[in-house]
Amino acid sequence: MAAVVGERAPSTNRWLAALPYVVLALATLPILVLYVWLFYSSFFPRVEGFRPVGDFTFDNWRFLWDPLSVPQMRNRPPIVPLTFNTFIFAAMTSAIGLLVSSMAGYAFSRLRFPGRRMFLGSVLLLHSFPSVTLLIALFVVLRALGLYDKLVGVILVQTAFALPFGIWIMKGFFDNIPWDLEMSALVDGAGRFRTWWRIMLPLVKPGLLALAVLLFVEGWNQFLLPFVFMPSGSQQTLSTLVKGILGEGRFVDYGLLTAVGLYYIAPVLILFVLAQDQLMRIYAGGVKG
Amino acid sequence: MRVALERLTKRFGTVTAVQELDLEVRSGEFVALLGPSGCGKTTTLLMIAGIYRPTTGTIVFGDRRVDHLHPKERGIGMVFQSYALYPHMTVSENIAFPLELQRAITRPDREARVREAAAKVQVDELLDRRPAQLSGGQQQRVALARALVKRPDILLLDEPLSNLDARLRHDMRGEIKRLQKEVGITSIFVTHDQLEALSMADRVAVMRDGRLQAYATPDELYAHPVNRFVAGFIGSPPMNFIPADLAARNGDLVARAQDIELPLPPAQRPRGNAAGATVGVRPEHIAIVAPGEGQAAGEVYVVEPVGREQIVDVQVGGRVLRVVAPPGYGGKIGDRIGLRFAPERLHLFDPQSGDRLA
Ligand SMILES: Nc1ncnc2c1ncn2[C@@H]1O[C@H](COP(=O)(O)OP(=O)(O)OP(=O)(O)O)[C@@H](O)[C@H]1O
Ligand SMILES: [Mg+2]
Repeated sequence: MAAVVGERAPSTNRWLAALPYVVLALATLPILVLYVWLFYSSFFPRVEGFRPVGDFTFDNWRFLWDPLSVPQMRNRPPIVPLTFNTFIFAAMTSAIGLLVSSMAGYAFSRLRFPGRRMFLGSVLLLHSFPSVTLLIALFVVLRALGLYDKLVGVILVQTAFALPFGIWIMKGFFDNIPWDLEMSALVDGAGRFRTWWRIMLPLVKPGLLALAVLLFVEGWNQFLLPFVFMPSGSQQTLSTLVKGILGEGRFVDYGLLTAVGLYYIAPVLILFVLAQDQLMRIYAGGVKG
Repeated sequence: MRVALERLTKRFGTVTAVQELDLEVRSGEFVALLGPSGCGKTTTLLMIAGIYRPTTGTIVFGDRRVDHLHPKERGIGMVFQSYALYPHMTVSENIAFPLELQRAITRPDREARVREAAAKVQVDELLDRRPAQLSGGQQQRVALARALVKRPDILLLDEPLSNLDARLRHDMRGEIKRLQKEVGITSIFVTHDQLEALSMADRVAVMRDGRLQAYATPDELYAHPVNRFVAGFIGSPPMNFIPADLAARNGDLVARAQDIELPLPPAQRPRGNAAGATVGVRPEHIAIVAPGEGQAAGEVYVVEPVGREQIVDVQVGGRVLRVVAPPGYGGKIGDRIGLRFAPERLHLFDPQSGDRLA
């Protein structure tokens, strides 16, 4: 029986096996087209629909080496500090988020303390809270703390928004580590902190790496918070620059917009490609390798 | 180092895992905690290790009360049932970990001790491997080396052999026993396998539902079980139990059940005047004889050869008694036979409480 099925299977099932790929490819096509369009419109003076007009040129990328010749860039902070700001913003939210998530996630996973269930519940609740609704309140708080219009303030806000997710993810990774390992470390003579540092953290490394990348990307892509809480410009990030070019009066220079846009998303794309394997694991969890 | 548990109790919410446990382990002694699954063995061990805090009761090492000390202050080495090797460290890093935490030990000193501990359990060839690259038996040896490397006063082992195959289990049984005597370390190990407990331990503590049932040497547990639970748990194949009436006959006391009549020698008579008793007799203390001889008559129900000997189930009256027959025994299903009981090997238990009567 088994042999007969085994022989028949490949020829009839090949098409069936390909089906999901066909469906997925069709569904992905529009998004792919979008990226391709973004890419080539940045190298032509104009694009009508999908058809480029004129000759291949680097003219749209002038903002990198000769920003003063680009009218839209003239009364804005230069691109290099902007990029640097964006990097600091993303890196800091990622680093602080990682530190707090890995400690809080451990505490939620392993320690029994009063109010644990309530805290866990509120973490979930906060995660599903739309941040827009808090803008006014945040504005008041930032003003009161003297952090309004400062990068530090936005970093703190962004990190706070990212924490529920980070804590929840890290708790999941810690939950997957057998208790025996921790008990063993305690018996071997380690204290609680050393156990966390030497045994637990290395075992959740895949989770830490994945979370680091996700938080970084989230920070890099964040538009609303820097836009609202840093209006005056000197500490702006790339996302607000893109918005600025897009919102410049009646005439929008799509060539410039796509070039800046591409410049803006390139690091994220590269990071995703490099960290693909790590990111896969965030939803698999588990102690491996 | 001596270990004494006094009225040790552990509750998890409404579940009482260990109740009023009294146990003393002499310095250098090898003690087994034996009992069925869920009887509180691991909980007891983890309280001794300092992982769980007792609900009530005290734990004494030597003459120092330790029940409020952290695990690291107790001088304990422990082998976990899962071995709990740190997956991200090599074998030598695993073994070195307990030493790393002792500042007084210098690096060269540490390396020497890791090699020494590894050699003692024959894993010195594997020092650069990771736990995932080791067989179960090798992992267990590494766990032993890690537990012993800091020269603890007390060694705790939780079901150290349960993850090994039958052959390896037998080998390791002997090896752990030899190692324990060689190092001379006070050791407590947990097992649910009575054979392991009997063959390895100096004394065995039998537990049931969180309570200590018996605490004695293997010989004593086998020869004079204090109650029916212990009698049934120790020994393989397990003891036969026969509910019987006690009656006087010609000045003798006789235990009587359907198709069985057992005269009780003076030493086996219960104190007081009980009307009934559960008679316990081990399969190896019943001999198969010609029909009409012995104290019972029955019929062979099934014969199971188990290598050296044969286990014969014999139908007597309404019940089946298990008997160990010598290698040459050629009985077949349906044969009519007699059974002879070794009179001095009978155990009498109270039918209600299960306590030993004689
Ligand atoms: N952390 C815990 N929380 C709640 N109940 C527990 C906990 N640990 C153990 N118990 C309960 O306590 C009882 C004893 O458990 P324990 O692990 O000591 O048994 P054991 O004798 O080691 O069993 P096994 O042979 O299966 O390992 C069980 O009923 C168990 O369900
Ligand atoms: Mg257990």
